[in-house]
Amino acid sequence: MPIQPSRDSSAYSPQESRLQTQSGRMVFPGGPRGRIRKIYESFQDSKAAVDVQRAKYFTESFKSTEGQPLILRWAKALRHIAEKIDVYVDDHQLLAGRAGREGKYGLIYPELDGCFLENFAKNSDSRTESPFALTGADRRILLEEIAPYWTGKTYYEDLAASLPEDVLRVTFDPADTFTSRYIVNETSSMRSALQWVHDYQTGLEKGFETIKQEAAARLSSLDLHDPLDALEKAPFLEAIIITADAINLWARRHSLLAAEKAAGESDPVRRAELLQIAAVCARVPRLPARDFHEALQAQWFMQLFSRLEQKTGATISNGRMDQYLYPYFQADIAAGRQTEESVKELFQCMWLGMAQYVDLYVSPAGVRFNEGYAHWEAVTVGGVDAEGRDAVNELTYLLLADKREFPLNYPDLAARVHAGSPRRYLHELALTVQEGAGFPKLINDEEIIPVLLAKGAEFAEANDYAVSGCTEARMPNRDTYTAPCPYINLGAAVELTLHNGRMEKYGDELLTIETGEPENFATFEEFFAAYIRQQTFLIAQAFKQQYIVTRLREKHFASPFGSSLHRLCQKNFQDLHAAKIEGGIDIGYFDMIGFGSAADSLSAVKKFVYEEKLLTIAELKRALKADFRDAEPLRLRLSGAPAYGNNDPRADEIARQIDLAALKFSGEYAKKMGFSMDLRYVPVTSHIPLGRVVGALPNGRRAGVFLSDGSSASHGADTTGPTAVLLSNRATKNPAFSNRASRLLNIKLSPSAVAGEEGTKKLTALIKSWRDLKLWHLQFNIINRETLEKAKADPRSYKNLLVRVAGYSAYFVELSPDLQEDIILRTEHKTV
Amino acid sequence: MTGIVFNIQRFSLHDGTGIRTVVFLKGCPLRCPWCANPESQRREPETAWSAAKCIGCGDCLRTGAGAVKREGGRVVPLRRLSGAEAERLCPAQALQVFGEERSAADIIDIVERDMIFYENSEGGLTLSGGEPLTQPAFTAALLREAQGRHIHTAMETGGLADYQDLRAAARHLDQLIYDIKIFDSRRHQEQTGAGNQAILENFRRLMDEFPRLPTLARTPVIPGVNDHEKEISDIIDFIRPYPNVSYELLPYHRLGAPKYEALGRAYPLGKRALDAGRFRRLQIFAERRMAR
Repeated sequence: MPIQPSRDSSAYSPQESRLQTQSGRMVFPGGPRGRIRKIYESFQDSKAAVDVQRAKYFTESFKSTEGQPLILRWAKALRHIAEKIDVYVDDHQLLAGRAGREGKYGLIYPELDGCFLENFAKNSDSRTESPFALTGADRRILLEEIAPYWTGKTYYEDLAASLPEDVLRVTFDPADTFTSRYIVNETSSMRSALQWVHDYQTGLEKGFETIKQEAAARLSSLDLHDPLDALEKAPFLEAIIITADAINLWARRHSLLAAEKAAGESDPVRRAELLQIAAVCARVPRLPARDFHEALQAQWFMQLFSRLEQKTGATISNGRMDQYLYPYFQADIAAGRQTEESVKELFQCMWLGMAQYVDLYVSPAGVRFNEGYAHWEAVTVGGVDAEGRDAVNELTYLLLADKREFPLNYPDLAARVHAGSPRRYLHELALTVQEGAGFPKLINDEEIIPVLLAKGAEFAEANDYAVSGCTEARMPNRDTYTAPCPYINLGAAVELTLHNGRMEKYGDELLTIETGEPENFATFEEFFAAYIRQQTFLIAQAFKQQYIVTRLREKHFASPFGSSLHRLCQKNFQDLHAAKIEGGIDIGYFDMIGFGSAADSLSAVKKFVYEEKLLTIAELKRALKADFRDAEPLRLRLSGAPAYGNNDPRADEIARQIDLAALKFSGEYAKKMGFSMDLRYVPVTSHIPLGRVVGALPNGRRAGVFLSDGSSASHGADTTGPTAVLLSNRATKNPAFSNRASRLLNIKLSPSAVAGEEGTKKLTALIKSWRDLKLWHLQFNIINRETLEKAKADPRSYKNLLVRVAGYSAYFVELSPDLQEDIILRTEHKTV
Repeated sequence: MTGIVFNIQRFSLHDGTGIRTVVFLKGCPLRCPWCANPESQRREPETAWSAAKCIGCGDCLRTGAGAVKREGGRVVPLRRLSGAEAERLCPAQALQVFGEERSAADIIDIVERDMIFYENSEGGLTLSGGEPLTQPAFTAALLREAQGRHIHTAMETGGLADYQDLRAAARHLDQLIYDIKIFDSRRHQEQTGAGNQAILENFRRLMDEFPRLPTLARTPVIPGVNDHEKEISDIIDFIRPYPNVSYELLPYHRLGAPKYEALGRAYPLGKRALDAGRFRRLQIFAERRMAR
């Protein structure tokens, strides 16, 4: 789940914010043995620590396989890891396995950005964003065994050396390529794949023994006189076999450990549990799962092994859990092998396992893009099934109920909504949203399925998509594009327009192209045309960057495990990271960051410079250069220009033109590169570092402050209420284009505005309206007391906060201080 | 057809069924001291100045020669300003004009924007005030225009109006919200500046003529004015005979206080507060009596 922008230096998820208001009091649903609380207490106080084992064994293996096909090297590295890495069966746990040391841990992927390791080893525990503990011994391993091998071999270094000068200039500092410029930011060196979803169902139903045997049979039927068979297909199949062996071996080691622990266990209840774990791990994921416990353990092994294989954006997603686990759930409930409570307990064992994994970013840019240890292994529920029928079942409702009851922010829950979603489902979504933790995020079948169809997907594939990462849709056996995408700084585009291709922060250096001194523009149309040229130039650099990224990656990354669970990879004997896979749909993205900031800035220029002639461009530039020092009235005036997010056509039309220009460019040029580049507005936390390099903007935003997030309005600019926010979002889309993609949208509501049964109904109505507007994504923020207090102290930043009081809803900051206090106290009363 | 409107509030959740857009018409024949919308009372547009929003830049005094002056630490308008003028004079939006002449079609254009939300929530347009019926022709025009576009309509009224005007509005209403504040006419006169005979008589006639119109009668519970069982039971006994009438108590709040200050008026009820326990007891009392 994306982290909310906040005015703190640290970014907390809504769930974490809520926990803070409970002064750390964590209320767990009661299990028979307090198991869940005990597991939680085993790691809650631990500081995030680096586990170097994955990197160490990966590197050891790579040292011994140089010259071999990359997919084979990767498979052998996985087998080496599976043989050597410590395995764990945690106390109280019902699911075996973790990908790293006890407590909260993060892994290192030196193949990505190992060139930063030396620096990381020095300051991992002292850096301000997401620090990590590192033991002396591990530091030595990092510096002596791992980092030296990767010097000169990392993907990052290759990329920096491969970018032509004009692309480099907006990507990295040409004088020091280890420093990002945050204008056109690449993210392909931060993770080795886009957010992704495996076909877990195949893993569960086939088992890796069958996957191995199928590969072996195909291998034996190859014609080894055929160079292609010998050099492409054979290594692929060998890699599949080795990887299947590796995960089976790794699971087996867990089984042996559980049996060993059982032998030494004095408590008969725990001994029985350990013996059961031993039996489950002896079977899965090698053989098909037979019941719910086996299925969940097999899935847990698959997602953990995926973490050992590579760093996936946002961490590997969980797919449609309420679909592929349903047959096991249904059979076990019918046979009395499980109850709803015992199923929840097993799920919670998994969520607690996820909570201990922490996404570690080594490079400074990586950590700034993903502050707060963010990772979100999206679990998808609801939506339509492959046939287009509603897919909601009892497991869907169980997962929603679990989300309401379980106090941790794992897993990230994504709920698909479609025109035929049952009333009860919509009602339960609203109930869950009311919890105020920002869950679930809502994803719209009515927008996504047509877009996937337009890409060439079959109905059955499009209908069966799973939510992946933040807001993306993934067809596990059809999607084949894994290259992480570039981020384009629209705040910078505004500044580049004002300074004729230059930026305050980077001095006189011409960063892009000269579009003319804006002092000479006679009309807003000229100014806007210059802006579009700057934006387009940045997009062009991003596309060139991505073209290089797409071709470089297959030389650096392989994914034999991911490929073994992908039908097209198997069919074509191709690794998932191959630049082109026959029959696949290649959906790449580019993210535009600061949509609201740019639209509002242009709107302010239009109104105050060209329409009302309140000031000239030269005067505006002087005020911006001084960061509005001694010009607060001007700053306020500028921020009062028509703003995106208010269903005001004056601002929305500018925003739509921004969107349209990007779509047109992509429509014309992406095809030539052989993959699509779709326009997305999903910031994660990148709007913070991207904002840091941008000077003051004409919408009144001060220098260095974060940009607007996703497709949300600028902070505090949406003063007309949530219906206007949704309608603005719709008005700025260009649905004639199929290269549109996700727009992340946050809506804030006060808890009291949507409290009680009436509130559930109104939330349901909002959700249905969002669905009918065919917007891609929506998440609600039900604001907590802490925020109300901040709003009281800093009303200008919280102009749009609605509170429900007595007979109507009012804007909080319009109320007098003592009434604000009254409401703050009432809210506190409610949360007790 | 035009009228004076002082606010359009979208995403209103508590003024009729579903998600609604409330259009506030300016002007009211009553002067209830607990009124939360003092800017609604006078018919003509008014200029307000908020001390809390003022950043003291002096722009209004410098650039608005003759429009405003400083007086006793406040900024006071010297003549009636237009909304656009106030916006030009004050960067911080401390100067605000309540009331603007708008056409019915323009207003309904804005209301219609949220159609998709009405569709999914059984919401629509609510006319409120002030008292919408101080602008009867405009009220009727707004309701007619909305119904012509198949928008669900509701109106909040205090009932003090010419019956023919009320009747003309009711013809285009899907829901009526009718305030009955105090049952005794003399006390009503004391508190609000007008007796309630016409209010009660209008209610009776309306219910007889439009017996199927879903109607919500409402009483704002004001401490020291009507926060006791006798008052509530009198009102309930009056409305209960009519089949499609439900009833709701609204708790008194002081949310309007900053607006009195901005308009340069004293807040009539001072620090008076409604006891939450008493309000809950009255709610239970009212529910039981309605159900009897």
